[in-house]
Amino acid sequence: MTAMDQQSARPASPFKRIGTYVGAENLSLMIALVILIALIASQTEFFFSARNVLNIGQNMAVVGVIAVGMTLVIVSAGLDISVGSIAGCASVVCALLVVHTGSVGLGLAGGIAIGMVLGLVNAAIITILRVNPVVATLATYSAFRGVAFLIAPGGRPVGVLDPNLRFLGAGRLLQSDGFPGIPVAFLILVAVAVVAHIVMRTTVFGRSLYSMGGNPAAARLAGIALNRMKFQIYATSGALAGLAGVIVTARTSSGQPASGTQGLELEAITAVFLGGALMSGGKGTILGTMLAVTLIAVLSNGMNLLGIATFYQLVAKGLLLVIAVAIGQWRLARSERQQARAAARGGK
Amino acid sequence: MAAAMNIASVGKSFPGVKALSDVSVELNAGEIVAIVGENGAGKSTLLKILSGDYTLDEGSVHLGSVDLSGATPLEAREAGFRLVRQEPEIVPFTSALENIFIGELPRRAGGRVDFTAMRRAAEDMLDRYGFRGLIDLDQQGRTLSPAQMQLVEILRALKPGAKVVAFDEPTSSLTLRETERLFDLIRQLRDDGLAVVYVSHRLHEVMEISDRVFILKDGEPTGNLPIGETDQDEIVRLMVGRNLDSHGMQREPITGGEVVLQVENLSSRWHDDISFEIRAGEIVGFAGLVGAGRTELAKVIFGEYARTGGTIRIAGEAKDIRSPSDGIAANIGLAPEDRKGEGLILVRSVIENACMAVFHKLSRWGFLRQNEMLDTVRPLVRSLDIKTPTLDTEVGKLSGGNQQKVVLARWLAAKPRLLILDEPTRAVDVGAKAEIYRLMDELARSGLAIMMISSEMPELLAMSDRVIVMHDGRISDPIPKSEATEERIVNLALGTAA
Repeated sequence: MTAMDQQSARPASPFKRIGTYVGAENLSLMIALVILIALIASQTEFFFSARNVLNIGQNMAVVGVIAVGMTLVIVSAGLDISVGSIAGCASVVCALLVVHTGSVGLGLAGGIAIGMVLGLVNAAIITILRVNPVVATLATYSAFRGVAFLIAPGGRPVGVLDPNLRFLGAGRLLQSDGFPGIPVAFLILVAVAVVAHIVMRTTVFGRSLYSMGGNPAAARLAGIALNRMKFQIYATSGALAGLAGVIVTARTSSGQPASGTQGLELEAITAVFLGGALMSGGKGTILGTMLAVTLIAVLSNGMNLLGIATFYQLVAKGLLLVIAVAIGQWRLARSERQQARAAARGGK
Repeated sequence: MAAAMNIASVGKSFPGVKALSDVSVELNAGEIVAIVGENGAGKSTLLKILSGDYTLDEGSVHLGSVDLSGATPLEAREAGFRLVRQEPEIVPFTSALENIFIGELPRRAGGRVDFTAMRRAAEDMLDRYGFRGLIDLDQQGRTLSPAQMQLVEILRALKPGAKVVAFDEPTSSLTLRETERLFDLIRQLRDDGLAVVYVSHRLHEVMEISDRVFILKDGEPTGNLPIGETDQDEIVRLMVGRNLDSHGMQREPITGGEVVLQVENLSSRWHDDISFEIRAGEIVGFAGLVGAGRTELAKVIFGEYARTGGTIRIAGEAKDIRSPSDGIAANIGLAPEDRKGEGLILVRSVIENACMAVFHKLSRWGFLRQNEMLDTVRPLVRSLDIKTPTLDTEVGKLSGGNQQKVVLARWLAAKPRLLILDEPTRAVDVGAKAEIYRLMDELARSGLAIMMISSEMPELLAMSDRVIVMHDGRISDPIPKSEATEERIVNLALGTAA
């Protein structure tokens, strides 16, 4: 009888089952989040007010949607630095479409579509021209931002006053006297994250993503078409960046070529690594990324409440990225040591 | 004669393998010693211990009065041991001259590189060994021919201070004339009073150039003979002679199954006009030296590498296989040689690794069905007896034998008709080996056609119904099990068969 049979013969406790599903890395993120919240709340009473909590939800929507796409990219052992610039393009395209057609649906679809197209451009550069993803998307990071300014008439923000559009970005549900309402943008993030979670865990596409990230040579020999996967991955990342751009337009009532979408790539990448993904690919979860996005949103909210100057916040964001990747590398080194020990033990 | 280098009772183990045990040999100044042995006999391991790449577990190595037993590559070099590697590392965008002096650039006071001294030293060496005109010192590394790269590597070794020079398969990329020239050089080095080590598969070269031959088999010395007192036949016998009891495994030969794989006039970058067939229930062993083109042949059949001509039929039907997914669709499975590099996703679970090749079959509308996955993998884990704590355990945490079984499980899940196993028992311990043999036998019995590439002679002889020997991208006629002997296979692999 194999060890597996013995294991499955004894039903695991519900706590253990939840623990296995959530994963040790995510549990430590949750603990870090609780500690952070306790620290901030002990300094300022306003933190726990309904208005502030819901503001955090509102603020994390844009970067959260992008981080979902970034999770796919990083798990596949790629990187997408151009997402902020794509969001800028999508913001402008969305505003122009709503201004000229009056249709919010068309604006939403157009913003997502332009994001997807730009994502396909990234994929083409990476697969057909065989440019390393970091370099390819660093190039389009600059190029797409330029495109955003070029399509905005005069390079200026495009004002768009449409109450339906505004609802997407700044609307609140279940608003009442004592309750500021749940931000619609936050609900969009939740929906995107849930769908992505299911896709990553249960679909052929999702599982192939982990395989190709973990070992591209083995994945190819198992029949996974790597280039087709890359087109799908970068198109998804682009489309989600497009959606983030639409949310920015909706919230600010203007198509913004730059403002509101700059630096999103850094925050999204930080969140994905902090959420347990590895530089080398093959690891990372939507749940982890979402916990990390929340942690970062709470941190920057806390820093604002405590009146910490923006310059310090920039330094803190950079530090956080280094810490996130360093933790991942440390975990990797530890598990490689375990593997070496297992190999040395031999057959049994 | 003075012993320039003294190797005493050297032993070295890797996880699960004893690579060298109790190897003692003296290398004398003014003598050429050839080291021969089959793949995996320990020749490279011994060279790497001498050069400081590996650290020995037991014994000692002395060069003159210097103890090199735990030496770093730099210490070994400075003491005078120089290795001419089979595949030299050449820096592509710097000159041949700098390539020769890489890591040891002569410097002027103040730290600037002394190009004049460097050029003078290089030209002195070219003159002294008669290589002038063979290489332009200002040529960029990437434009050098294979022979010129070899020359750069040789000049690196001959820089002042050399006492023992070891050549690892130096003629594999040389033409006949270049080889003659190399031999002249080697003789000149001997006459200058250096100790020369010559490692080669090519026995006729060994007979021609060496003064003494040192033979290794399975990491143990089996002979140390003056060349005048031996001949090729004796050397081959000492290389291969061993008890052929391969873990007690004896297969009943199976015949009469339908033809599963039929390869006709296949050619590729590595191969020329290859034709053979494998029947259901049959295990065909592919023997040959490392580099003969066996792994490449497997990958051409599977679709990983391009086929430039010929046909591949599976069960009589011609298949146009252009990618691994075509290969899988044609019911072929390939368990690659490099288990960690190409076989497994070490950071993912057992169940994912086992299902990878059949994700689409286990899904509906793109969604994987957990129950189907479990139904596929559980019986395989049981029948292959894969020892894993859970199905969700990362494959990297399993032992080598169990990892190999996970690779097997992946291909069995795909229900192939042809299973290609490239070095199926590499880096697994003896117990797991016997189990993998038992599984292969069962699989063949259940009607699978198995193409087994192996460099282990006992494995080839025990498991194969027929053996095909590859040499330089061509194959021999299949040798039926009853006629397969170690001598015959080794002679075909070395290209020394009459």
